[in-house]
Amino acid sequence: MESFWNSISAYNAETWPWQLAFMAVAVVLTLVLWFRPCTWAKVAMKVYMVAVSLWIALVYYLKYAMNRDYSEVIAIFWCMVAAAWVYDLATHFSSFQKSGKYRGWGIVVLLLPLAYPVISLARGLEFPMITTPMLPSAVALYMLGMLMAFSRKINFFAFIFIVHWAVIAISKIVFFNIPEDILLAAACLPAMFLFFKDTAAADEDASKPSETAVKTVIFIVVVLIGASMLTEYV
Amino acid sequence: MDADKSAMTQEHIGEIAEFISRYLSYMLGAGVHTSRVVRNSKRIGAALGTDVSIHTSQKTAMVTVRGRDVHFMDTRVVDIPAFPISFEWNADLSALSWAAYDRKMTLKEISDRFDELVSKPRMNPVFVLFMASLANASFCRLFGGDIWAMLITFTSTMIGFFTRQHLARRHVNHYIVFIVSAFVASICASTALSLGIDTAEIALATSVLYLVPGVPLINGVIDITDGHIQIGISRLVNALMLIVCIAIGMSGTLMLVKDSLL
Repeated sequence: MESFWNSISAYNAETWPWQLAFMAVAVVLTLVLWFRPCTWAKVAMKVYMVAVSLWIALVYYLKYAMNRDYSEVIAIFWCMVAAAWVYDLATHFSSFQKSGKYRGWGIVVLLLPLAYPVISLARGLEFPMITTPMLPSAVALYMLGMLMAFSRKINFFAFIFIVHWAVIAISKIVFFNIPEDILLAAACLPAMFLFFKDTAAADEDASKPSETAVKTVIFIVVVLIGASMLTEYV
Repeated sequence: MDADKSAMTQEHIGEIAEFISRYLSYMLGAGVHTSRVVRNSKRIGAALGTDVSIHTSQKTAMVTVRGRDVHFMDTRVVDIPAFPISFEWNADLSALSWAAYDRKMTLKEISDRFDELVSKPRMNPVFVLFMASLANASFCRLFGGDIWAMLITFTSTMIGFFTRQHLARRHVNHYIVFIVSAFVASICASTALSLGIDTAEIALATSVLYLVPGVPLINGVIDITDGHIQIGISRLVNALMLIVCIAIGMSGTLMLVKDSLL
């Protein structure tokens, strides 16, 4: 646990200007996509997603968290998240268009990464040993927020990677005492239900079981995952 | 009987051969073992007053239909389409052959019923995705995984299975699909190692079980024991190739994560 927090401390102390730059770019691109959506902004956002995933993989995990066990495995995982966005760039898998369905929810999730340092400070931690919006779970939360806010056609690969990361994050709450990560799990489970429900309903051909039955299965599984996480946490 | 014989024209024999060839191609394509396909096809042929001889291989099948007491015959060679494994088609189409035999159904009735059965709606892909992920998480539990290992296996399978569905929809070569899916699922499951949980390796091992080609393996053995040696060996070789692909995908992960295959 000590090496976990030490790596976060070193990362924050040495990269805070870069972190601020990444956050500024994210804010600008999000606002442009929100108010003046255009093709270059959509492409730029996907490039940003690739860059931020690689940042987490190469800078956070391979440089500052290298002394933690199997950090290279997590780095590979984040490289795969980057690959999911590269694939999206190449195939136009997602559209970054607003559907209007989960706009309010999307705004809330987009703002949640900013709550990371606030919660850390409220817990009595001090900079640089605090969580920031440029830590892996906060980045995953930002990606989730973008998917929720621009949900017409989402990058499903990236979404399932985020769901997987939420499971890792929730276990870190238990193993590394980082309760901030509960935000990701709390946002991820409803998103899981909503996105999978929409995908099941959007199936063009007639399929079985009925839409209601599929929704029920998804709901039960999401509740079970939530209950498992909660049980282990408590 | 005389009336039956008079109706047994070359054209009618041709129609029966056409239907039976379609029937058996659907059954073989859906992963039914050969002796059952042959038995069912012969049963339908008998119900329609004909004798049926069948030769099967992995990609094609040949059917010869001969009228009883008449000298007409018709031979068809048919490609076997690659359908997803379907136990439902297996059960429904087998039941159809018995219904045809017991109720003396006409060719049109059998054909209409067949069209009805094969045009039933398919399973919702999201439902299949969830069920496969749940099944793998359950395997993880059976092999001794704890709740974290199960959750990680669930989401890893979800990523791998979604990759498989996506690539298959894009008609990517299925060996490549297996390699990529196995790699993606196992690399995601390997993140469990970073948590330091005792059962992380169980999560890693069970994350690719959804890819194991159980039906071709079982069918291959059944076919060989029933004497359909050629197609049995073809099916086993096909299954073996898929297992090798899973091994390649998983080896990629192990080499990256553990620097060895053990």
